Amino acid sequence: MVHEEYKEMLSAHALAALDHEAEQALNQHLSHCATCREELDQWNAAAATLALAASTAEPSPKVGERILDQIRAEAQNAQPDSAAKVVAGPHVLPFKQPPRNVWQSIGSLGAIAAAVIFAALLVSLIILWKQNREAHAELTKLSNETKSLQEDLARKDRAFQMLTAPGTRMAELSATNMAPGASAKLAFDKNGHAMLMAKGLPAAPSGKAYQLWYIVGNKQMPGKVFTPDSTGNGVLEDQMPAVAMNSPVFAITLEPAGGMPSPTGATYLHSAS
Amino acid sequence: MQPEQAQTTDVELLHAVAHGDEHALAHIYDRYRVVLFGLLVRILNSREEAEDVLQEVFLQVWRRAADFDEKRGRPFTWLVTLARSRAIDRLRALASRERLAQAGAREESEQISDAASDAIRAEQRDLVTNALAQLPDEQKRALMLAYFDGLTQSEIATRLGAPLGTVKTRMRAGMTKLRELLANKSENFGF
Repeated sequence: MVHEEYKEMLSAHALAALDHEAEQALNQHLSHCATCREELDQWNAAAATLALAASTAEPSPKVGERILDQIRAEAQNAQPDSAAKVVAGPHVLPFKQPPRNVWQSIGSLGAIAAAVIFAALLVSLIILWKQNREAHAELTKLSNETKSLQEDLARKDRAFQMLTAPGTRMAELSATNMAPGASAKLAFDKNGHAMLMAKGLPAAPSGKAYQLWYIVGNKQMPGKVFTPDSTGNGVLEDQMPAVAMNSPVFAITLEPAGGMPSPTGATYLHSAS
Repeated sequence: MQPEQAQTTDVELLHAVAHGDEHALAHIYDRYRVVLFGLLVRILNSREEAEDVLQEVFLQVWRRAADFDEKRGRPFTWLVTLARSRAIDRLRALASRERLAQAGAREESEQISDAASDAIRAEQRDLVTNALAQLPDEQKRALMLAYFDGLTQSEIATRLGAPLGTVKTRMRAGMTKLRELLANKSENFGF
């Protein structure tokens, strides 16, 4: 197919009305055609105006409350650095005040002595300032480490809660030829909260990241992206699309770091159908 | 027409949401809930399902606001696209025969919005309504079946008993006309 043919498919893509094969082909083209991506943005804007053809409707006030409850519960689980803030709070060492009007009372000799004292105080101040700065840097480093440990602990706690909760299901992802030593498990609860734990993945090249996909039938829905640590381990939390809850298949591909709407890169891990 | 200032505020609100500001999320919810809920009810034909999906949409906004890129489009487009995509996923999962049957009956009397409670978008709503009224019926029907019923081009062809090539042509012509009509009327639709 040539560029012009893909271009003619863009308006239908904005309506999500392309048949599967056409959609796959166009997504492949979009991954390397900036002109078509820009034009698709414009068709998306045009398609979105159709929403205004529907009558407006007022949802129950409970919906807003449920949303706020859920994000607050998530924030509580994540423990946003409240403890770290305490550690990293203002830390200023008190400076001594230099004595005032010294030379007026003891004459010129006193003035020299005062100058020496002043110089000594100045040196002391510089030393104190440097110590203060080092202490502050150390505290910042410690607070970052504390935050990282807290996040790690919170994640492990969430993993524990999820794995022991009734109704949590587990899927195993096997490696493809792209990463023979890799493996992963994905746990997901009845609310669609999913946690992926992968190991043995090769380091993602610069500008690339691994992306999780939810596959139902021949539809592939994008999940979040992640990059493994230096040992090849990666953990990812995500919210599954509701449609993927019944008979999900999962896959991990290598994509541009920002993630893609449809898979474009090689598959590294895949669960059984 | 939506004032420029309000538009800027939407972008700022989404940036604030990306930084974990729940008040910003509440503002976005207040501003868009009736439009998005109206869209979801229209697609899902069920208030209960629509409320469920509306909750999912705003949780996704909370988690993924950082993905919003104002260079690629307006907040309105991003939110509507997100909501519609979720609703179509839900619709296809439900695969309700009953609903499809209802869609057939509904299609003949596509009702464009009544008096808009959302004053900010009332004028845009009128423009869309008028633009759709200017499309030939077969083009408008193809667009409506795709947008609100989540049907693919092949499914629309089967539904209307028309050749696939004809349906593709109608959709493309309808979208092109819609875009031209709205682009002439307003600079604030984002294209």
